[in-house]
Amino acid sequence: MAKYLAKRIFYIILTLFIVTTATFFLMKFMPGTPLTNQAKLTPGQIHQIYKQYGLDKPLWQQYLVYLGGVVHGNFGTSFQFSNQPVSYLIGSRMGPSLTIGGEAMVVGVLAGLVVGAIGAIKANTWVDTTATIISILGVSIPSFVLAVLLQYYLGLKLRWFPIADWGGFMYTVLPTLALAASPLAETARFMRTQMVDVLSSDYIELAKAKGMGKVGIIYHHALRNSLIPVVTIVGPLAVGIMTGSMVVENIFSIPGIGEQFVKSVLTNDYPTIMGLTIVYCAMLCVVLLITDIVYGIIDPRIRINK
Amino acid sequence: MKLNSFAKLSGVALLSALVLAGCGSKSSSTGTKKQTLNWMVPSSISTMDTSKMTDLYSSQVANATNEGLLRMGNSKVTPGVAKSYKISNGGKTWTFNLRHSKWNDGKPVTAEDFVFAWQRTVSPKTASQYAYIFGNVKNATQISAGKMSPSKLGVKADGNYKLVVTLNKPQSFFKYMVAQGYYFPQEKSIVQKYGSNYATNATKNGYNGPFILKGWNGTNDTFKLVKNPKYWDAKKVKLSTVNFQTIKDPSTALNSYQSNKLDFTTLNGTQVKQYKNNKDYHDYLEASSFYLEMNEKKDPMFKNKNIRRALSLAIDKKQFVDKVLADGSIAPKGYVPAKMSSHNGKDFADQAYVKDAVEYNLAQAKKYWAKGLKETGKKSVSLTLLSDDTDGAKKNTEFVQSQLTKLPGLKITNQNVPFKTRLSRSQNGQFDLVITAWIADYPDPSNFLDLFTSTNSQNNGKWKNAQYDALIKKSESTDANNETARWNDMVQAEKILMNDQGIVPLYQQAQSTLMQSKVKGVQFFPTSPQWAWDKASIK
Repeated sequence: MAKYLAKRIFYIILTLFIVTTATFFLMKFMPGTPLTNQAKLTPGQIHQIYKQYGLDKPLWQQYLVYLGGVVHGNFGTSFQFSNQPVSYLIGSRMGPSLTIGGEAMVVGVLAGLVVGAIGAIKANTWVDTTATIISILGVSIPSFVLAVLLQYYLGLKLRWFPIADWGGFMYTVLPTLALAASPLAETARFMRTQMVDVLSSDYIELAKAKGMGKVGIIYHHALRNSLIPVVTIVGPLAVGIMTGSMVVENIFSIPGIGEQFVKSVLTNDYPTIMGLTIVYCAMLCVVLLITDIVYGIIDPRIRINK
Repeated sequence: MKLNSFAKLSGVALLSALVLAGCGSKSSSTGTKKQTLNWMVPSSISTMDTSKMTDLYSSQVANATNEGLLRMGNSKVTPGVAKSYKISNGGKTWTFNLRHSKWNDGKPVTAEDFVFAWQRTVSPKTASQYAYIFGNVKNATQISAGKMSPSKLGVKADGNYKLVVTLNKPQSFFKYMVAQGYYFPQEKSIVQKYGSNYATNATKNGYNGPFILKGWNGTNDTFKLVKNPKYWDAKKVKLSTVNFQTIKDPSTALNSYQSNKLDFTTLNGTQVKQYKNNKDYHDYLEASSFYLEMNEKKDPMFKNKNIRRALSLAIDKKQFVDKVLADGSIAPKGYVPAKMSSHNGKDFADQAYVKDAVEYNLAQAKKYWAKGLKETGKKSVSLTLLSDDTDGAKKNTEFVQSQLTKLPGLKITNQNVPFKTRLSRSQNGQFDLVITAWIADYPDPSNFLDLFTSTNSQNNGKWKNAQYDALIKKSESTDANNETARWNDMVQAEKILMNDQGIVPLYQQAQSTLMQSKVKGVQFFPTSPQWAWDKASIK
């Protein structure tokens, strides 16, 4: 296991290195400069500013300098937020993003499992139909549309939740619901299909024949076996939440990092683009690693012995 | 993993969602007249370092928390840290007499704080993007290009309370510039204490203005201004708190306004259509000008005045602002925006109005077009129209395209590209027609007119007129100290620009807002910082 982990971590670092390198050079090919007032500055002034930020050096030198900084934990300072270290910018704005992302993931997947399981157990009844409708709606309504609807009805009309802003659990409810819809729907669909399959398999028949109660069968045999394929989609779901959060954060005025990513690209804020690329990439790698480990826990057959 | 506990967990998650849905508290607003204003900004503030700020919202906050020599008022400047000033040496020397005012930590605001701040801004080490605005202060350009020491800048402290500024050439609108954030003083001891961390959060800064910034950690979206008891004119400041909330999504801002969480919000085009008749609705003209540039270098046909005139008359600007933009923007009278600057009570835009150059007249446009085509020996023309790729910009280009193609034989292809690409293409002359916007740094017509002198780098279309150049030069030299003569030069110059149709003015942008009627006295300026709260109150 330790060997496996070490190997995986090595691959993660390799992935990060490749992504960092590719992003660095692609980013430098984007048109424009990080200067907001470029149009009004004289060439001499522009040159001085470039010199101050090391942008006058050849690209490969800039790349090495950047890489050297990253190895020492220095991600540079942001252009948009003048003199603000990128690590501080990410650190101070990452919390809210992780909170709603994590909540949405947990609520979405757990609720999805329940909805999917109920659908399978009551297959081809009205309960199943309802569960299917919920998952179709969840998949087809984009999170930002749901966000606007939730904000209008639950926030403005009913005043149950704050419309926007950040400052405690109540503020996280609407964004979490908006983001959770899609993982809920995806998980429910997978869970239902898989469980219908499992419920008609021989070992379930055997358990029934042994006289085991329905609840026991589902808890001890059906659920666990249905989970394996569901775990597979957790990685892609996490990616979906990361991208979805960029818009949802905006709608609920959450001081998160998603929107900063978009803005940093639009304003050629090189250090911020790089810092966020590394962080997002690392998060995704870690989610995938966890997924693989969870496989082993659920299904001893896949447990890693290498 | 125990599936029992897992099932329980999922049950709990669902239940808690349901329970939580029920326990929302209804906040009851107490009806007291607390002097608290809830304001909205559409973008995070990026820094409080006046040497480094480039965005409007940071300048807005800086203007509330700090004060320069003079203070922006409604189309004039009022005394700030300087009680009075005197202009001598043919307009090149400005002497400011400072009052005995204090920073929020109790230390005196001295002339040295100005000298220090200005030198810091022009120093290449600071890498300020506003260094160019000091261009007319003696030696500033050489300093910012790294060719001279910052200590040589044309600003000196004569004792603690007298500041002497030396300019390269007379500049009557220097009074507006010293009222802007980039000319504010900086508390030297604080800047030196925090070094590169200076003004990166609310506590690492010194304040000498009507308010003090609180709760800003450098990147967060909610913060507030509280009254500064040490401000010299504190007795006139009525608000105790201004709460700021950054809301980037327009419909979220509107929802927050409707639930009384905000006393102010800006509206986008779609929202304006709904709220135009609301009692809280107000629109304010910004000192901005949107216009079409014709690339004379790439397409020599644009050297023909009839062609240029035809393009201008073919566009119905009234319909443009009423039906397409529909956000309070107005059809232009010319290039320099309306209600920005006036002389002897007369607005510049009214005085320089050339009706024949801007008013829609399709029949006339077609005549000019036919004549122009004949003169240039062309039958049909195919042009590209360059603009930004935002939804708004796309709608605008589509409208302009539909208007221009009414001219027989003219084919227009729209090119909607990202802002930065548009900027670099305009500057490199890679366009036929481009929609350009100019927003003033200070409320003086010269800030606009300078652009179309033949050597200005912002003159993307390369329109040239010797008479125009001469008038602008005259306004900056021989007439610089004579307000009326200078004004007349500029009016004449604008008339030449319009008569010769150097550009096609399209519209002047407005800011549409909702503001609760209980809020009184908030000031709006057409240029940065746009909003000020030091005279505001809640009634």
